[in-house]
Amino acid sequence: MNALVHGALYGVVIVLCLLTTVAFGVWFERKFAGRMQSRLGPTRVGPYGLLQSFADIIKLLQKEDIIPADADGSLFTLAPVLAALCALGAAAVVPFSPTVIASDLDIGVVWVLAVGGLMVIPTFAAGWSSNNKFALLGGMRAVAQSVSYGVPLVLAVLVPVILSGTMRISGIVAWQTSHHWVAVWPVIPGLPAFGLYMLAMLAESNRIPFDIPEAESELVAGVTTEYTGAKFSLFYLSEYVHTLVGSAVASALFLGGWDGPFAPGLHWMALKTLTLFALVYWVRWSLLRFRSDQLMDLCWRRLTPLGVALVLASAAWVQFAPGAH
Amino acid sequence: MALKGGRLPVVDERALPYSHPLYDTLLQTPGLSVATAAVDLVLEWGLRNSLWIFPMATSCCGIELMAAAASRVDLDRMGTIVRATPRQGDVMVVAGTITVKMAPRVLALWEQMPEPKWCIAMGSCAISGDFYRNLYPVVPGIDTVLPVDVYLPGCPPNPEVLMHGLLRLQEKVRAARSGQPVPRDPNPGLIDLTKPANGRVGDPSRAADLGAQQVAAALVASSLDRSDEPAPGAEPVVEAPDEPAEPAFEGVAPEFEALLRDTFGVTDFPKDRAPAVDPARHVELARSLKRMGWRQLVYVVATHYAEKTGAKASPERFEVAYALRSVGAGSKVAAWRLELAPGQQPPSLVGLFAGADWQEREQFDLVGVGFAGHPDLRRIMMPDAWDGHPLRRDYPADKECAPWR
Amino acid sequence: MQSARRGGIDPHLSITHYDPEADLMLLHFGPQHPSTHGVFRMDLHLDGEVVIKATPYLGYLHRGVEKLCEKLTYVQQTPVVDKNDYVSPMTNEQALNMAFEKLMGIEVPRRARWLRLLLAEMQRISSHLLWLGTFTLDLGGALGGGSTVFLHCFREREMVLDLFEDITGARFHYNTHTIGGNRHDLPAGFAAKARAALDGIEARIGEYEDLSVHHAIFVARTRGVGVLDGDLALELGITGPVLRASGVDHDLRRDAPFHAYDEVPVKVSVERGGDCLARAKVRFAELRESIRLCRAALDGMPEGPICGFKPIRQPTQSKATSGQVYVGIETPRGELGTFLVANPDAPTTPYRLKIRAPSLHALSALPYILPGATVSDAVAILGSLDPIMGEVDR
Repeated sequence: MNALVHGALYGVVIVLCLLTTVAFGVWFERKFAGRMQSRLGPTRVGPYGLLQSFADIIKLLQKEDIIPADADGSLFTLAPVLAALCALGAAAVVPFSPTVIASDLDIGVVWVLAVGGLMVIPTFAAGWSSNNKFALLGGMRAVAQSVSYGVPLVLAVLVPVILSGTMRISGIVAWQTSHHWVAVWPVIPGLPAFGLYMLAMLAESNRIPFDIPEAESELVAGVTTEYTGAKFSLFYLSEYVHTLVGSAVASALFLGGWDGPFAPGLHWMALKTLTLFALVYWVRWSLLRFRSDQLMDLCWRRLTPLGVALVLASAAWVQFAPGAH
Repeated sequence: MALKGGRLPVVDERALPYSHPLYDTLLQTPGLSVATAAVDLVLEWGLRNSLWIFPMATSCCGIELMAAAASRVDLDRMGTIVRATPRQGDVMVVAGTITVKMAPRVLALWEQMPEPKWCIAMGSCAISGDFYRNLYPVVPGIDTVLPVDVYLPGCPPNPEVLMHGLLRLQEKVRAARSGQPVPRDPNPGLIDLTKPANGRVGDPSRAADLGAQQVAAALVASSLDRSDEPAPGAEPVVEAPDEPAEPAFEGVAPEFEALLRDTFGVTDFPKDRAPAVDPARHVELARSLKRMGWRQLVYVVATHYAEKTGAKASPERFEVAYALRSVGAGSKVAAWRLELAPGQQPPSLVGLFAGADWQEREQFDLVGVGFAGHPDLRRIMMPDAWDGHPLRRDYPADKECAPWR
Repeated sequence: MQSARRGGIDPHLSITHYDPEADLMLLHFGPQHPSTHGVFRMDLHLDGEVVIKATPYLGYLHRGVEKLCEKLTYVQQTPVVDKNDYVSPMTNEQALNMAFEKLMGIEVPRRARWLRLLLAEMQRISSHLLWLGTFTLDLGGALGGGSTVFLHCFREREMVLDLFEDITGARFHYNTHTIGGNRHDLPAGFAAKARAALDGIEARIGEYEDLSVHHAIFVARTRGVGVLDGDLALELGITGPVLRASGVDHDLRRDAPFHAYDEVPVKVSVERGGDCLARAKVRFAELRESIRLCRAALDGMPEGPICGFKPIRQPTQSKATSGQVYVGIETPRGELGTFLVANPDAPTTPYRLKIRAPSLHALSALPYILPGATVSDAVAILGSLDPIMGEVDR
């Protein structure tokens, strides 16, 4: 009972924090993109345009809710809700500090991968149920991409799991803390695994250069082509939450989580997560987009072999290096 | 509310956000109006500050719409982004000429946008059709198709004007909530002549530090100014010729002339137009020319000569002019024409020049000349059900013939 | 029945030939789509994402310009054709007025010819910048790196538009050319400002190349995509950068000089690839060459009048009673021509005016180069042809 209350309490707090972070994250992204493109970004709504995302949300909630006549209505309605649930659900096991964690599962890594991987189902459901050809193409692309990039994602995550010998995310963080992660990561295959994870995470959360399911210059708005108002905002939200949780998991698995000098762990975790979040948007506003077959090529012929090699290398490290455990 | 004919009306009032039963109940509950007023303010604030554009960009104004989203004006400052799908747009910006072929699509897209939605007619073509207004394919203003909220005059309006239009739309949204009329535009001229948008050089009437009076004086002076006329300089200034000059034609390349003379028996080389060739042999001519290095198709133009009566009486006839170009240094054009009676069909050039496909279709569509052997002779510019051939001389050029309205 | 079959592809073959069981997906691409560069529609028959057959449809912006020109007097037509190729109005005006001058046998003073060269090359810079912006937007999306290049290109394009505004007072549709010369001379201090703008643009071209033709993803998206054979391009009447990217060394500025191109030699850039990457490279080379030509024009601008005679105050003053001319000039998109027949009964208006639009010919390559490409490639191919629907449909 105690664990349930603890989980519910922390869960609500974490979800609220995530949503607020996403709101300001969208603002940050627009300002950041503006600076990259020698313009200003939002300035007029609130000080420095800080309230822009809230205006967008309030507007989107007021828009007419259209379900196309030939759409599969129930699936069409269910898809955005499922997407938001999957994106937020993965946050349950992320340790933001030794104590701020909704549920410290001992299979936390599996939970993150499984719930995050489920995102593909609402995405495809949206593409299918919209009864729109652009949305359908987007949904098919999403399935192909998500299934493929799940493999390097799992392989990348396996590296810290093998090294630390635990699937509990807080355990992995603790292992990094006790093994001087700053000094050790470059030596053992952690750094390339981190790169691999970030690439696969970009693909899983449909970010440029892997945003082919959305691909608005090709597919208008991809799977969300037919979505209006509140439902569209759920998709929009889930994308950002997915990216944010992915960044948080990356900083927990590869960057020492809450470990850091001079400041409380929560601050370090937030700093690392937001830096990665910003990095994702830096990449997003710099690069062009791959074609879907090139994306598959990159995954199966480059990233997956790299992932296998990394897993083998870390296994060898655990086996042969003195005092790895 | 009963559905009209079993189909949803264009504006489904039940879907409007402000007629929700819960909302109505709240509004009628005594004591709650203060609370709902506050909610109202927040809702209106959100609507006003997040006007996403759905660009219905067809022509020139679309470029200025893009420029408005670009660095110098940056619509993102006021939270306006461009969404490619109508489902997520709030403001349809009709930027450019709307033709009869496009208008039904614009209406379909407008109906796909969720309420509440607004429309901005950007540029004189969207407002009234501009100088295409009276022509056969153009809709005289998008407000004959869908309701317009803000009109932005200009051809095209500068990007700043679009920003201004969005600000006016914000006022309209606010006024709609409060039930007040939209306030007058405080600065209808929009452009402050005393402060140029960018530092222009060389023109004293545009200097930044001039007072309003001086500007007025300078404007008067520049209207009397004749300095754009050439100063009496080295070259003699001549008046425009009152009498038309000698008829001009670029001439015929010597090898082309030789070919025509020797092989095709053409003897008449008029000074003012291309030589006429027997329609039955012109594919052969094109083949010979292609072999000789004229490998690029330049144009296929049909001209309709209406029947004339009176002193210079002549029957109705058609002419089709062709030209090929030789490639590389010293490029030359080889042009010829076919004289045709009504109904006579010259052989198509598609077998030799694939580009003749669309060219001949265009001439078939607009002038009504058929081409024998063309694999796919359909209309290309006008809708399939269009009546008549607009570029014939006897096709009326004025609006009476336009089917719109 | 003649056949348009070229290179194994017949655009008129019925879809039932490819797809007897009717299990292909028909995707209506346009007329309203973020990547169709205006209102253009393609019907793509897709097998998965691979295009089997592409059928383009035009006419959604057909405005009857040619009919309008038959109504108006010669002098009144310049502002009308501005709106055809709305990305390079200057060259539209030039093509039209040069045809009128030829029809009426009017000489253009030397300074006006140099001025026209300068305006044409500046317009080429702004047009190619806009092409680069929209092309990367097609490849990278409005919410991504594509829009970054796009906005940077628009920033530099504004510099050129400011220069045009200084000369003509208009930002977009200039109406500065007239029969026999130009209406607006260069304002004082223009050369220095123009040089500064050109330096600024030239300094940033390298940046754009890093973001596009030197960028691995850009190369992966464009190399070998939409390969167009040089012979087919000639047959289709394709001109300009698209033709030169297919290995045909043909540029009217050098091969049939107009304006002052006989005095300022042009270096023509040719690529052999015929794919989207080659088209991008040709346009980058032309961007650099245009900057050089602009500088040369600013350096060598002769003194003298800019119009052969007093500016025409009455629209009925220009007349032609007989003749049939064609003038083609090299615009940023290729050979823009004006075919003109004089009207003997009403000498102030043309009897027939036809505008030969390079974009129309470029688009006619689509049925030949789209089959085998994916939807993503289709967007890239369409963007690399740089069509402007205003002049395609007129």
